Amino acid sequence: MIKRWRQALNKRYQRWITRRLPAVKKIRLDNRKLFIFPTRGGFVFFALLVLLWLIATNFENNLIFAFTFLLSSLFIIAVFHTFLNLSGLQIEGGRATPGFAGQTAEFEYLLSQSGKRQRYSIEISYPEVEPTVVSLMGSEIKAIYLSIPVKRRGWFKAQRITVKSVYPLGLLKVWTYLQFDTEALVYPQAIDANLPPQAASGRGDKPPPQNYRANNSGSEDFVGLEKYRLGESLRHIAWKQFAREQGLQTKHYADAVDDELWLDWEALPGMDTEARLSRLCAWVLDLSETTRPYGLRLPGLELAPGTGRAHRDSVLRALALFEQPAAAGGQA
Amino acid sequence: MRPLWQIPRDCLFWLLVSVIISIGLHLGHLPPWVALSGIIAAGWQIQLYRERWRQPGRLLKWSLAGACASGLFLHYGRFTGLEPMVALLLTGYVLKLLEIHHRRDALVLIYLSYLIIILQSLFSTTMVSSLLVLAALLPVTAALVAMHCGAENSRPATALRTALTITVQAIPLMLVMFIVMPRIGSLWAVPQQNSATTGVSDSMSPGDMTQLGRSGKIAFRVEFDGPIPEQSQLYWRGLVFSGFDGRRWDQQGPWGYNDGQFLQWSNQPQETWDQVITRRGAPLSYRVTLEATNSPWLFALSTPLSQSSTVALSRDFRLVNREPVISKLQYPVKSWLDNQLEPASLPGWRKRLELAIPAGFNPKTVEIAQQWREQTPEPLVLMNRLLALYNQQFIYTLRPPALGKHTVDEFLWGTKKGFCEFYASSFVFFMRAAGVPARVVVGYQGGERHPTENYLLVHQYDAHAWAEVWIEGRGWLRVDPTAAVAPERIEMSFADLFGEQDDFLSASPLSLERMRHIRWLNSLRLKLDSLDYAWSKWVLGYENMQSDFLLGLLGEINPQRIALLLLLAGAIALFPVFIMLYLGREKNTRDELDRLFLQYCSRLEKIGLPRQPGEGARDFAQRISLLAPGLAAALDRLTQLYESARYAEQSGAEILLFKKALKVFKPSRKDLLIRV
Repeated sequence: MIKRWRQALNKRYQRWITRRLPAVKKIRLDNRKLFIFPTRGGFVFFALLVLLWLIATNFENNLIFAFTFLLSSLFIIAVFHTFLNLSGLQIEGGRATPGFAGQTAEFEYLLSQSGKRQRYSIEISYPEVEPTVVSLMGSEIKAIYLSIPVKRRGWFKAQRITVKSVYPLGLLKVWTYLQFDTEALVYPQAIDANLPPQAASGRGDKPPPQNYRANNSGSEDFVGLEKYRLGESLRHIAWKQFAREQGLQTKHYADAVDDELWLDWEALPGMDTEARLSRLCAWVLDLSETTRPYGLRLPGLELAPGTGRAHRDSVLRALALFEQPAAAGGQA
Repeated sequence: MRPLWQIPRDCLFWLLVSVIISIGLHLGHLPPWVALSGIIAAGWQIQLYRERWRQPGRLLKWSLAGACASGLFLHYGRFTGLEPMVALLLTGYVLKLLEIHHRRDALVLIYLSYLIIILQSLFSTTMVSSLLVLAALLPVTAALVAMHCGAENSRPATALRTALTITVQAIPLMLVMFIVMPRIGSLWAVPQQNSATTGVSDSMSPGDMTQLGRSGKIAFRVEFDGPIPEQSQLYWRGLVFSGFDGRRWDQQGPWGYNDGQFLQWSNQPQETWDQVITRRGAPLSYRVTLEATNSPWLFALSTPLSQSSTVALSRDFRLVNREPVISKLQYPVKSWLDNQLEPASLPGWRKRLELAIPAGFNPKTVEIAQQWREQTPEPLVLMNRLLALYNQQFIYTLRPPALGKHTVDEFLWGTKKGFCEFYASSFVFFMRAAGVPARVVVGYQGGERHPTENYLLVHQYDAHAWAEVWIEGRGWLRVDPTAAVAPERIEMSFADLFGEQDDFLSASPLSLERMRHIRWLNSLRLKLDSLDYAWSKWVLGYENMQSDFLLGLLGEINPQRIALLLLLAGAIALFPVFIMLYLGREKNTRDELDRLFLQYCSRLEKIGLPRQPGEGARDFAQRISLLAPGLAAALDRLTQLYESARYAEQSGAEILLFKKALKVFKPSRKDLLIRV
C-alpha cells in the first residue's frame, strides 16, 4: 500500500520536475529553477539561536539579545549569498564519450557565467557517482566530467544531475536537478571469447580459428615484390631482398585480401543476441590493437574491412545500435 | 591513525584563532589551567594536522576529561551556577579540539565558539567588551566560511573577508531586530550565585560575593510632588536583615515579632505597634513606579505609609506588596523624613533579636568590640570610633577578595577592602558584639535626577546596604559605614557608578580617576562616562525604552503591528544588501569570447599584424593570410571556430574549442618570412 503510494508520489514528482525543468542543452539557473532550504547544520544553528534567545530572555541581557539577532541576521543574509552562488550560473551539457555496457560513459558538463562573480564549492552529483566539487572564478569556463555507469548498449541519456551549493555558511543549501539532452553511445559489454582470436595475436601466416570465416579461401600464390610503403605490415617485408641490399620490399600475394577478417554474426550460432554482440565487441577491441583489417557482418548490415580508430568506432557503433531504434531514442 | 576527514587548512586556522579568543575572553573568571589546556590542545591539533603527532588514545582522552571535570569541581566546589557551567562548557570545547574526525566535529566546535564567545556578555556588559565580542565573532564566521568554501589552498584572508562582508551586511537587520523584537521577562529563575546582578536580594552574604554585578537597568522611578530631596537623604529602604548565621544575613520574618500582625494594611485597623512610630512635620509625597522584581518588597524613604490597598507597612517599617511584583507597579507613598522609630525602649525580646550574634564566629571582633565597649561605653562615641577606623584604613572596591569562615574578622582586621555590604555587615556585627542593637538595611541609595523632568531614576547599580543602630531615647538611627569610607558614593549619584568604576581601577596606575587634576584627561573621562551612560541607557537597559518607543511609533502595541514593523524595517535594512548583491552581478565585463579574441589579436599584433579598426574577424584573417601564408590554415580554423562560437549560439563548448585552438596558436615573425 505504502509502496504504491510512494510510487504514485514519485510519478507525480517526476511529472512535476519534468514540466518545471525540461531537458535542455544549456540552462541558466535562476530563481525559478533553484530550490533553497536549510541544511542539517542550518537547523542546528537555529537551535543555537533558540538557546541564545532563551539565555538572553532569562538573564534579561540585551547584549546577548543583540548577538542573537546578529546571528539570526547572518542566517538571513546567508540566504542571499547561498542563492546567488548558483543563480546566474550557466550549465551546458557537453559531449559524452561512449562507454561499454557495465562500465561508465563520461559526460561533460560546462559551467560558465556572464558576470564575474566568484562561485565557490559547486557540487555536481549523480546517483552512485562520486560528486565533483568545483569553483568558478570570474568569466572562465569550467568543464567537469562525470563517469556515469551505463548498463545496456544503445543510446544512453543520463538522468538528472544534481547541482548543489551550501556556500558560504553551510546553513542553507541551494540546489537544482538538471536534465540535459546529451546522449552517450553505449557499446556492448566486451566479453572475451574462450578462444581469443589468434589471428589478432600477430601470427598471420597461421590459419585463423574457425570462428573467423576469414576470406582467404586458400589462395596464397606469391605474385611478386613491390616497393615498401609506409603502413604496410612488417610481416610481409621481403627480408631476404633487404639483406641483399635491394631496399625494403614487400611480398605480394594473389589474393590481396587474404589477411582480412570478417567478424560474422552467423559464425556464432546458438548464442543469444547480446552474447553474440559481446563476443564480437571483444574481438573488435582485440583486433583494433593490430593492423589487421577487419570487417563486420550483421544481419542486414555489412561494414567493409578496414583499420584505424574511426573504423573501430563505426564498427562498435554498429554493434551498439544493432536492433536498436535508429534515432536517438529514450533511455537505452 | 589518520583522521577520517581532513579539515581544510584555512578552516583549522580560524577555528584555532576562535578557540584562543574564546579562552582569552573568559580568562577573567576561569581557572588558569583551563586556558593552559586550551593552548596545549590547540598545539596538539596543529601537530595532528601536520601529521607529526598522533591522536590521543581513548584512555588518555577520558582521563583528561575526568581530570578537567574534577579540577573544575575542586575549583568551584559545585557545578551549578553560571561560572562553573561556562567553565565546564569551555573545558569540553577545548577537549573536543583533540577529536576532529568528521565535518560535524568541526561544525560543533564552530557553533560552540559562537555560544561561548557570546556568553561572555553575561560577565561583562561594558561597551568595550561588547565590541570585543563582536570582533571575536568574525573569526568564527570565517571558520564557517572556510569550511564550506571548497577551494583548495585558499588563503585564510579570503574567508575572513567574506565573513566580514556578511557580518557588515547583517548589522542593519540586527539593529532592526534589536529595536523591534519584543522582550518577554525571565521564563524561569536563573541561578545567579556569585554575582548579585539585580542589586537587592532576599539575603546577603558578603563573604561569598567577590564581585558586585552592576546593571544599568532601572529599578524604579520616583515622581515627587515637590522638589527632590538631597541626594544624601535618599535611602530607599527595601529589606531589613536582623538574622545572622555567621555567613548570611536574612530577614527575621513575621515570627521574629510577637506584638501583633507583622503587616498592617491601610484598610485595616491600626496595629498596636504603630504607636512606636513618631511622625513629625509634613510628609513628603511621591509616586514610585517599580520595575518587575518577582518579590513583594517595595522601596520607600523612611518612614513610609501608603494609601494603596495592596500595600502594607511591615513591623520593621517598610512597605510590602500583597503579591510578588511581576510587572511594573506604581504605588503612592507619604514619607515622614523627620521621624523616630521605637525611641522609648526596646522590650527584652526585641533586644535579644537585634543583639544576636552566632557563637563560634569572628572571635577577634567580639573580643575587640568588648574591649572598646569598656573603653567607650557611650554607644554614639563607640560608633564614631569605628567609623573613624573605616575612614582611615579601609578601601572601597567593587572587587574585594573572597572571605573565609570568619567573614567579619577577616574583613575588619585583614583585607580591609570591600563594598557596601561588607561595611554594613561588619559594622552591625561589631555594634551587636559591643552590646548596641543594630541591623542591616538593604535597598537603594540616591538616584539620577532626570535633567529636564521632575523625576528620579533609580538604577540597579544604586543598590546599597547600610546599618541602623538603636540608641535609647532616639530610636533607630541610620548609619552608613560606606559613607565613612567613600563619602562620594553617597553624595553624588550618577557619578557614583563611575566613581565605583574608578575604584575598581584603583589598582592600575593609569586609571583616569587618578589623573583628575589633568584637565583634558578629566574631560575625556567625563566624555567616556557619558558614553558609557548612554550605552547602559540605550543598549543595556533598552527594554525600559522599548515600549515607549514602539508606542510612539505604532500607536498601539499588538503582535500584528510589531510583525508588520519588523517586516517593513527588515525590508528596508535588507534593501542595500539586495541592491549590492544583484547589481554587482549585472556589472558584466567583456565576456570570455571577447577576451579570447582580443588575446588572438594581440598575438598577431605583436608580430606586426594589427587588426584594422572595424575589421571583421574573417576579413582580418583573409588579409593577413596573404601576408603570412604559413599561418593561413591556423587562421582559417580559428576564424571558423570564433564565428561558430560567436554567431551560432554562444555555447560554452564552442568557446572552449576556440580557447584550446588559441592555446597552440603561437605566431612568430618567422611566419612572415615568405612574402608575396
